[in-house]
Amino acid sequence: MEKRAAENLEGLQYSAAGSGYDEVYGNQSQIQGHWQYLLDGLKTLGVQGIHERQLKAERILRDDGATYNSGSPSGTTWQLDPVPALISSEEWAGIESGLQERAELFDLVLKDLYGPRDLIRLGIMPPELIYSHGGFLRACDGLSLPGEHQLVMHATDMVRDSQGNMQVIGDRTQAPSGSGYALENRTVMSRVLPSLFRDSHVHRLSLFFQSLRLKLSSLASAITDEQPRIVILTPGSYNETYFEHTYLANYLGFPLVQGSDLRVSKGFLWMKSLGGLERVDVVLRRVDDFYCDPVELKSDSRLGVPGLLEVVRAGRVIVANPMGSGFLENPALLRYLPQIANHFLGREPLLSSVKTFWCGDPQDLTYVIENIDKLVIKTCFRKPTEQSVFGSSLDEKARLALINKIRHEPLHFVAQEYIRPSTTPSWNNSQLLPRPSILRGFSVATNSSYNVMPGGLTRVGNVADSLNLSNLRGAISKDTWILASEPEKQISLLEARPPQAANHASKQPRNAFPCRVVENLYWMGRYAVRAESALRLLRTVFVQLNSTYHMPQETRQVLLQTVTQLTMTYPGFTLSDAATALQPEAELLAVVLDGKRSGSITANLNALLECSDQVREMLSADTQRVINDLRDELAGLADAFKQGLTAAPEEALDPLVTTLLALSGLWQESMVRGLGWRFIDMGLRVEKALQGLSLIRSSLVPVLPEYQQLQVLESILLSSEVLITFRRRDHSGSDMSQGLELLLHDNSNPRSVFYQIDQLRQHLAVLPSAVHGAGLAEEDRFMLEASSAIQLSSLDALVAEDEKTLTRAGLDQLLSRLQYLLQETSNQISTKYFDQIKVHQQLVRTDWDEEL
Amino acid sequence: MIYRIRHITHYEYEKPVTLCYNRAYLLPRDTDYQSCTESQIQISPAHTLGQQRIDYFGNKAYFFSLEQPHRELKIDVTSEIRVHESKYARECELDLDFGNTCGQALIALQESRELPVLEAREFVLNSPMIKATSSLREYARASFGSNRPLLSAVRELTERIYTDFTYDPESTSIATPLDEVLLNKRGVCQDFAHLAIGCLRSLGFPARYVSGYLETLPPPGQEKLVGSDASHAWFAVFSPGEGWFEFDPTNNNMPAEHHITTAWGRDYGDVSPLKGVFFDGGKSQKLSVSVDVSRL
Repeated sequence: MEKRAAENLEGLQYSAAGSGYDEVYGNQSQIQGHWQYLLDGLKTLGVQGIHERQLKAERILRDDGATYNSGSPSGTTWQLDPVPALISSEEWAGIESGLQERAELFDLVLKDLYGPRDLIRLGIMPPELIYSHGGFLRACDGLSLPGEHQLVMHATDMVRDSQGNMQVIGDRTQAPSGSGYALENRTVMSRVLPSLFRDSHVHRLSLFFQSLRLKLSSLASAITDEQPRIVILTPGSYNETYFEHTYLANYLGFPLVQGSDLRVSKGFLWMKSLGGLERVDVVLRRVDDFYCDPVELKSDSRLGVPGLLEVVRAGRVIVANPMGSGFLENPALLRYLPQIANHFLGREPLLSSVKTFWCGDPQDLTYVIENIDKLVIKTCFRKPTEQSVFGSSLDEKARLALINKIRHEPLHFVAQEYIRPSTTPSWNNSQLLPRPSILRGFSVATNSSYNVMPGGLTRVGNVADSLNLSNLRGAISKDTWILASEPEKQISLLEARPPQAANHASKQPRNAFPCRVVENLYWMGRYAVRAESALRLLRTVFVQLNSTYHMPQETRQVLLQTVTQLTMTYPGFTLSDAATALQPEAELLAVVLDGKRSGSITANLNALLECSDQVREMLSADTQRVINDLRDELAGLADAFKQGLTAAPEEALDPLVTTLLALSGLWQESMVRGLGWRFIDMGLRVEKALQGLSLIRSSLVPVLPEYQQLQVLESILLSSEVLITFRRRDHSGSDMSQGLELLLHDNSNPRSVFYQIDQLRQHLAVLPSAVHGAGLAEEDRFMLEASSAIQLSSLDALVAEDEKTLTRAGLDQLLSRLQYLLQETSNQISTKYFDQIKVHQQLVRTDWDEEL
Repeated sequence: MIYRIRHITHYEYEKPVTLCYNRAYLLPRDTDYQSCTESQIQISPAHTLGQQRIDYFGNKAYFFSLEQPHRELKIDVTSEIRVHESKYARECELDLDFGNTCGQALIALQESRELPVLEAREFVLNSPMIKATSSLREYARASFGSNRPLLSAVRELTERIYTDFTYDPESTSIATPLDEVLLNKRGVCQDFAHLAIGCLRSLGFPARYVSGYLETLPPPGQEKLVGSDASHAWFAVFSPGEGWFEFDPTNNNMPAEHHITTAWGRDYGDVSPLKGVFFDGGKSQKLSVSVDVSRL
C-alpha cells in the first residue's frame, strides 16, 4: 500500500508555486492545517484511486441526469472535480456573518426601492442608477411580502484576493441558481469519497434547505389556514439550469410547474391539475421577474402567468424572490454599498466588495476610460448570454469600440478592478494543479434573520489563467467543505433524502402535479409504443428481405406498405411504385433515421425524450438511466447504419428494442400505481391497440395467394411476438382465423387488441372523472362498444373474402370502426384531463422593445 | 368647467375568447388642475374581477379579467371631471419669457437636492419607446439657446413640430420609431408627443407623456357629432423650482380648459389605454372606439 502510494506521488505532490495566493499554502510555503488531512487522504488513494472515484462521480451525475444546458436541451453533464474546496470553520464564521449581514442589507435596499426610496431622497444613490436600470420594475412598486424580510434567497459570488481576503464580485437576487447543484455535488462526493468525507467532519447542507422549506411554509401560513401548496416555477426544459429545478422540486417535495400550468382565476392563483384547479399559495420562482406576467411586464413572454402580479398585489399568492428583486443584481450597487450600509446599519459592510466604478458618475467614467486595461467591464443589467469583458484582453480596435459604447450609454456600464482569484488544487490530467476559483454562497431568510448555507458552489477554471469562471465557459464545479473542528450532530441521516416536514402544514396534498405532467406521461407511453412497434416490424422486414428464400412480389409489397402505414410515413411504399419496392433501402433507412420525418423511429424517440424532459422530476433514478441509454443509442443509430442495410441490419435495432423493453418493464414493475402510472399505461394501451389495428389492417385485409398469405401472416405474428404460440397451437381452423384470433381477440395474449381495450376500460373506471350526467361517459361508451364489437365478431365472417375487391371486407369494416373508437377515446382523454388552453395572444401588439 | 366623457372600446373576435386579462388606463386621474368627481367602468360581458389601484405614477389603473367565453368585449367608461379655473387662469398670466433659462435648468437638475428635481430626473432617461438620438438633438437644438428661458424654448419647439409635421393617421403605427417619424415628418398626436419628449430628453430636460382627451368644438352653426372626439396625447416638461408645464404639439398650444388628463408616464407604453392577453379568439379581431367629450 505504502509502496503503491509512493509510486504515484508525483501527480499528488501539490505545488502552487508562482500562482499568487493559494488556498492550500496561502502566501507561505507551508500547507495550512485544514488541508493536511485531505491531501494525505488523496495520497493514500493514489492517482489510480482518484481517477476511479472521478469516473464513478461522472457516472452518478450522468445517471442522475445532472446537466447544465448551454443551448441544447439534452445538455452537457455537470462537471465535478473530485477534489473538494476546503474552508476552515474559524474562517467560515467570518464569511458566514458577512453573508448574513449582506443579505440583511440587500433586503433593506429592496424594501426601500419599492417603498419610500430614501436612498434617492437622501442623495445616497444617484436617481439615475435606479431609474435607468431594467430591473427596476415600476409595476412592482409597493409590493410587500408578509414577515420581516422581502428578499428570501440571496447568493453572493466571492473570490479571495492576493492578501487572502474574500471579496464580493457580484450578487444574485432574482432567482439565484446553484444551491441545487451544490447539493448534488455533496451527494455525489459523499458517495465517492465516503470515508474521507466522514472523517473530515464536514458541515452538512440539509439544514439550509430545511430553512428554505420552513420559510416558504411560514410565508404561506400568512395567507392560508389550510395546507399550503408551494410550487417551483421553471421556464422549462430549455433553461440551462433545468436539472436544478427538477432536483430541488424533488428534494423539497414541491411540484415543478411551468407558466402554462398555472392560471389566475377569481383573484387567486391556481395550478391546473388532474382534478381541476388547485390553489397555489407560494411560488418559488426560477423565471426572471420581467417574464412573470405578460399583462403588466414583458408582453410577449410565454414563461409567466397572465394576471399574476395583480394577485401578488392583493396578497393572495406569494412569489419568492419577490418580483422586482432583479434590480439588486445591478453591480453598480457595489459602488455605493459602503454609503448604503452606513445609512442602514451605521457601519461599513463586514464583507468588502471589489472596487467598482459606475460610468454614470462623470469622475468614474473618466477613470474607467483611462484605466480600461486594468478593469473588468460589466453591464448594469445583465442579459443571460452576456459575459464580462476583461479590458486587458482587448485589442486596440475592440477597446475603442467598447469605450464608444460606454460613452454612448454610460449609465449602463460598470467597471471593476480585476482581482486575480486565489488558486485551489484541482484534479486535472491525473495531477493536482492550481486553478483559479470562485465561490458562490447562499443565504435564505428565516423568520428573524438569514441562514447561510455552510458551503456553497465552488467553480474552478479549466486552465491556469482562466479569467471568466462562469459555467457557460466550461468551468468545473467543486463541492465546498466547511470543516468542523468536531464532528457535527447528525441532522438528517441520509442527506439525499428530503428533510421531513417540520409540521403538518408543510405537507403537500397528494396528486399534486400539473396536468402538463400527466399529458407528457401519457404521450411518453404512446411514443414508446410507437417506436417499439415500428422497430419490431422493421426488424422482421429486414430479416425477410435478406432471407435466402425467394420472396414473392406480393409479400414484399404488402410488408413494405405495412411499414409505411404503421409508421404513417406517407407516401412511402403506398405509391405502388415498383422501383421503390425493388430498391427499398433508402426509404427504409429514412423511416429509421430521418428525424425530420414525423413517424420515423428517430422522430418518435426524440418525441419520447422530449416528453421525458418535461417530467424529469417524476422519473426514478433507474428510469433516468434507461432514458440516458436511449439517448445514447439513438445518437449512435446513424453510425450503426453507415453501411446501409447490408449486413444483418436488424441487429442494429436490437439494443433500442431492449432498452424500450427495459423502460416498459420499469413502468410495470417498479412504478407506484398512482395517477402518473395510470396515464403512462393508458398511453401504452391506446397506442398498442392502434398499432395492432393498423398492422392487421394493412397486412391481412388484402387477399393474397395462399403461400404469400401465410408468409405475411407469419411476419406479422413474428413482429407481434406470437409466432411461436401460433405454431404450437393445435390448428383446428384456418391459419388466418387462428392468427386473427391471437392478434385481435385473445385476452391471454398481452399484445392482442382486446387485451389493450380491456386494460383501458379498467383505467377509465378509476380515473377521477369530471362531472358527467347519469350513465356512461363518452369514452366509456366508446370502449364498451369496441370491446363488444370484438367479442361479437365471428372469425368466419372476418376471414371471408370479398371477390370483387379482393379484400376481407368484414375485417376491414371492424378494424376501421375500432380505430375510430380508439381515436375518439384518446381525444376524450385529452379534452377531459389535459390542458386545452395553452397559448395566449396580446390584445394590443407591442412591437417595441419593452426592455431598457 | 365640468365635462362628461364617455369612452367606449369595442372588440369583436373571430372566434370566442375563453379567457382574458387586461389592464386599462381609462379612468382620469386627479391633477393639480382637475378632479374626477365620478367615474364608472362597465364591462360586458360581466367580468369576473375588476380592481382599481393607483400606480407608480399616480394614475388610476384598472385590472379586469373575463373567464367565460365571449365573442365581443365592450368597455364603456363614463367620467365626470371638473377642470379647475386655476388651470386656464394660469395660462393667461403665463409669460413664457421668464423663469429658468435652459442653462440654469440643466445646472439645477444636476445640483438641486430637492425631491421634485431628484424625481424628475427619471424623465430625462430613455424609456422603452423613446430613446434619445443625435438626430433628435440636432432637430431640437436650435430652439434651446443656453440663455433662453426654458419654457419659451419649449413653446418654440412645440410650434416647430406643429409647422414642420403633417398630421396623418395613415403614416404611422404605435411602433413607428421616432427617427422614422422625424424623417417622414408625419404622424399623429402620440408620435408628436413622443417626438417632443425625445427632443427634450436628448438635450437633458425631463419630459413626460400625457394621455387624455381634447374637447372638439363643431364648426359654428353645426351640431356636434356624437363619438367624434378622440383620445389625445401631449407632453409636459419639468423646470426645476417651477414644476411641470404641458404643451400640445398637435394643436400648437398649451393644454388648458379643453384638455382633460387621463394618465401620464414615461411614454405611451406606461399608460396605454388597454393592454392585456387573451386565449383563443381566432386570428383576427375588430376594434372600434368612440369618445364623447361634452360640457355639463
